[in-house]
Amino acid sequence: MMDPSAYLLLSGILFGIGVAGVVVRKNVLIILMSVEIMLNAVNVAFIAVGSHLGDVTGSVFAFMVMTVAAAEAAVGLAILIAIFRLKETIDITELSVLKW
Amino acid sequence: MANLVSSIQFADPYFSVLLLLIIAVGMSVGFVFLSQALGPRKYDRIKYSVYECGVDPFTSASVRVSVKFYLVALLFLLFDLETAFLYPWAVLFRDLGLFGFIEMTIFVGILLVGLVYAWKKGALDWQ
Amino acid sequence: MEPILFIVFGAIAVGGAIMVVTRRHPMSSALFLILTLFAVAALFVLRQAHFLAAIQVIVYAGAVVVLFIFVIMLINVPENKLPLERLTGFRFLGIMVAGLFILEAALVARRFATPGTPTADSGSVEAVGRALFTDYLLAFEVTSVLLLAAVIGAIALAKKRI
Repeated sequence: MMDPSAYLLLSGILFGIGVAGVVVRKNVLIILMSVEIMLNAVNVAFIAVGSHLGDVTGSVFAFMVMTVAAAEAAVGLAILIAIFRLKETIDITELSVLKW
Repeated sequence: MANLVSSIQFADPYFSVLLLLIIAVGMSVGFVFLSQALGPRKYDRIKYSVYECGVDPFTSASVRVSVKFYLVALLFLLFDLETAFLYPWAVLFRDLGLFGFIEMTIFVGILLVGLVYAWKKGALDWQ
Repeated sequence: MEPILFIVFGAIAVGGAIMVVTRRHPMSSALFLILTLFAVAALFVLRQAHFLAAIQVIVYAGAVVVLFIFVIMLINVPENKLPLERLTGFRFLGIMVAGLFILEAALVARRFATPGTPTADSGSVEAVGRALFTDYLLAFEVTSVLLLAAVIGAIALAKKRI
């Protein structure tokens, strides 16, 4: 079995791509998808180290992360629908009411 | 032929999944390229127009769908995750015994509140 | 065998993730997201986490992306009304920050370059279930409250008349 360093590097690359998506994109839908990529990258790290140490905790944690990701997607998309009804836009730079 | 198939040692049960993946991708990509390469290309305005069961399309294909679809997908997500938790519980049902039964009853009971809420709010009626 | 499959599926995952971030229309992003999630599920299989791989496909590709696609069809912004995105200085700085994250991960990953011991039972359904229903019982029960809160919140936000 491979050592987990390659998996951790892959996890870091996926997380970095997700961060870039969140920071750079304006489309709220794609920002939410980038968040999903980041959560998945964390899962890769959990699974890799968990199987490296022979510990089942990695899998349990990844399961919890998946549940949280599903809940986050559901609520995030519902907020998006509510905002779209109000302002007819999915451009995050136009949603600046709370900006100081 | 049967002898050949049975003689392949399936070292890993995922080997068949990989085989399926290769065949599926190969066939779908291959047929697209084959029809590109072998089919005659004659331009015809009607042939290239949007096709919808043989009748002329009534409206644009990109209409906004109703929010009801989102609510149904949301409830599907809820019960999909519930099933994901039920599956290891079902595998370990005999080992966990009454304790496992009680904890799963609490879990399902709490999620049932969500279903009752959705029902009372009318997320389940299609009107 | 594992290094070859790791490179193949890792490349698919990274390529899909880059496509998700760079596509203009969110529908193409959602379809590439499915590709990335499948590749990650294959990586889980490589690490013997069979149960998690199945859950990844069922929950993510089966439910979360469907939710995304329904919302994309629901709000259905026409192609020419999508937000205009240009690469400004601040955005370039954001990409640099993301690159820093990758560098950081590479530094952390170097510390784990010890050869692993083959372990048989760290990701099977029995092992995960046993840990979930005994050691992590509270987390499991609290998950149901989290899901309840998510469903009630989402319905309250998305339903027209409350």
